[in-house]
Amino acid sequence: MSVLTAVHRAFRWGIDHYLALPLGVIAALVWVQAGAERYFRFSHAASFVVNEVGMALFLAVMTKEVVEALSAGGALHSWRHRSMAIVAGVGGMIGASLAYLAYLHTGDELSVLHPGWPVACAIDLAFCYFVAKGIFGRHPAVSFALLLAIVTDILEFLIVALRYPVADVHATGVLLMAAAILVAIALRKSRVRRAWPYIAVAGGLSWVALFWAGLHPAFALVPVVPLLPHAPHDPGFLAEPPPDAHDPLNEFERTWKYPVHVVIFLFGLVNAGVPLQGWGTGSWAVLTAALAGRPSGILLAVAAGLAAGLHLPARIGWRDVVVIAFTASIGFAFSLLVATQAFGIGPVLIEVTIGALLSLCGAVVALVLAALLRVGKFAPSHISHVAHGSA
Amino acid sequence: MRRRSVGVRLAVLAVALLAGQLLAQSQRLPNAAGSVKFAVIGDNGTGDRPQYDVGAQMARARASFPFDTVLMLGDNMYGSQEPADFVKKFEQPYKTLLMAGVQFFATLGNHDNQLNRYYKPFNMTGARYYTFAKKNVRFFVLDSDSLDPRQMAWLEEVLKSSTDEWKICYFHHPLYSDGGTHGSAVELRVVLEPLFIRYGVAVVFSGHEHFYERLTPQKGIYYFIEGAGGQLRRGDIVRSEFKAAGFDQDQSFMLVEISGADLYFQTISRAGLTVDSGSIHRGGPGL
Repeated sequence: MSVLTAVHRAFRWGIDHYLALPLGVIAALVWVQAGAERYFRFSHAASFVVNEVGMALFLAVMTKEVVEALSAGGALHSWRHRSMAIVAGVGGMIGASLAYLAYLHTGDELSVLHPGWPVACAIDLAFCYFVAKGIFGRHPAVSFALLLAIVTDILEFLIVALRYPVADVHATGVLLMAAAILVAIALRKSRVRRAWPYIAVAGGLSWVALFWAGLHPAFALVPVVPLLPHAPHDPGFLAEPPPDAHDPLNEFERTWKYPVHVVIFLFGLVNAGVPLQGWGTGSWAVLTAALAGRPSGILLAVAAGLAAGLHLPARIGWRDVVVIAFTASIGFAFSLLVATQAFGIGPVLIEVTIGALLSLCGAVVALVLAALLRVGKFAPSHISHVAHGSA
Repeated sequence: MRRRSVGVRLAVLAVALLAGQLLAQSQRLPNAAGSVKFAVIGDNGTGDRPQYDVGAQMARARASFPFDTVLMLGDNMYGSQEPADFVKKFEQPYKTLLMAGVQFFATLGNHDNQLNRYYKPFNMTGARYYTFAKKNVRFFVLDSDSLDPRQMAWLEEVLKSSTDEWKICYFHHPLYSDGGTHGSAVELRVVLEPLFIRYGVAVVFSGHEHFYERLTPQKGIYYFIEGAGGQLRRGDIVRSEFKAAGFDQDQSFMLVEISGADLYFQTISRAGLTVDSGSIHRGGPGL
């Protein structure tokens, strides 16, 4: 019985911390080193279903978190007062892309690798959140980091959707998308309180619309999810919905929570298998952008924002911003997603994929800096508070 | 005594150099009238002495084996790629061939500026991937830097519609390689090889590895790596079951002749030595 309880707890902990993705990545890395040909046969057979169908669910869950963050109590609700995080997010993107391109300028592979600059810009929302929460606990720095990451990824999605069409663009896709949105609005006006009609009918139409339009159908549920009726308050980022929440948005999350973890495990498994010999200029460029470009961009943007009269949120100082800047350097799953859109199959994609995976080092740098700068859980006041509390 | 020893050494050196020159001139190809004749170079555009030496050997070979086409396997230009570099790293090393009207058909490597596809002497007509024919041979030139769905759809269509006797593909990254630095591009292999088998591609040329290698036929397809047209990674070939022949001690280039159902090849080093040669009979065992 106690073993079962321990397994259940470990499973819940894994789900709560989005461990399915790194597990998928580790499985892919082991598999590709053991038998590359078999691995790539599997990954190519599964890539469309996982990347263009399954990932629509993952992106829908992320969109749900953004929609709720816009509600009362959410990180984005009073965004006008949090404009510094938006400025920092944009600064981070500019810093990352400039560092990526500057690194490539030092050699002769700029021409073939330059389409990958958006890979360097992406932030893994879930990882950024968990690392920030691990360092800062309930400190406002977590909301600041989350808002910065959300702003970055919204811009990133726009760039990917428009910059990397998968096929020739057909105007009829626009009509189908309009129909999908009209269906979702009609369902909402008719007070439909179940999630599946929105997802199946409006989402299905949207998927076909994007596919037909030559854009990535993985984004199909992004315009539909905001139209699902939802609770007026945000329960928190990636938090369990309250048991009494029966609105379609929370019903959607409850239904798809576990399947989404299967999807992100498969996403890691299908996309992260890279032979170690594949390391190259693209790997260095993405790493430089993540670990040097983005933190520098964020710090400079914050400095510029302060000079322009903006304010950092209460209880956030420069030392916190430095740690947040490195927390936001993790591109991981989001960079992988963008990489698969930016490059076709080949050694160049493998190079940038390695860089995206290694951007996880940003978490280690953030932790070390937090300890050195004594911020968050490493702050003397926090440590003494914990010591007193436990005594 | 000592003077005599130096003299003997000089005489041996002179004989060796003469033998090298004679070997370079000793063609091992049928040189038949009306056959398709071409040369193959890869990873050549350094602008350094070895590239010029290979260019000179190619011109020397052409005097007795009049090829009219050169396949360029990518990394046609390294480093700076300004107008002056096109002269230093392409037009000068192959001046004799260009003046004789030899046509170069390039593919792009990871070091090439993508805009080089508009450079007229590369005959890419602005396309990243394209096809051209010489008599009974059709060449399919791919961009292996990024094999997107459009390129794959195009390749399947042109392979399917080709009725040419010989189908030859070339691109930069090798599907099979014994290179210690890069190795096989397995992911590309998984998507390309099934098409090659289905539509009867007989021979594949690649570069990227800075040496010459001939692989044992894989699923009926003959794979060659020729990435030492200017660059060289000495001692980089790791022995494996794939390797049929290899040369990683000096720069090199290939000469190829196709006559009817037979393909003959000869690989010549920068010093003019023949380092590999053989023939392939289409639809049957060769070499």
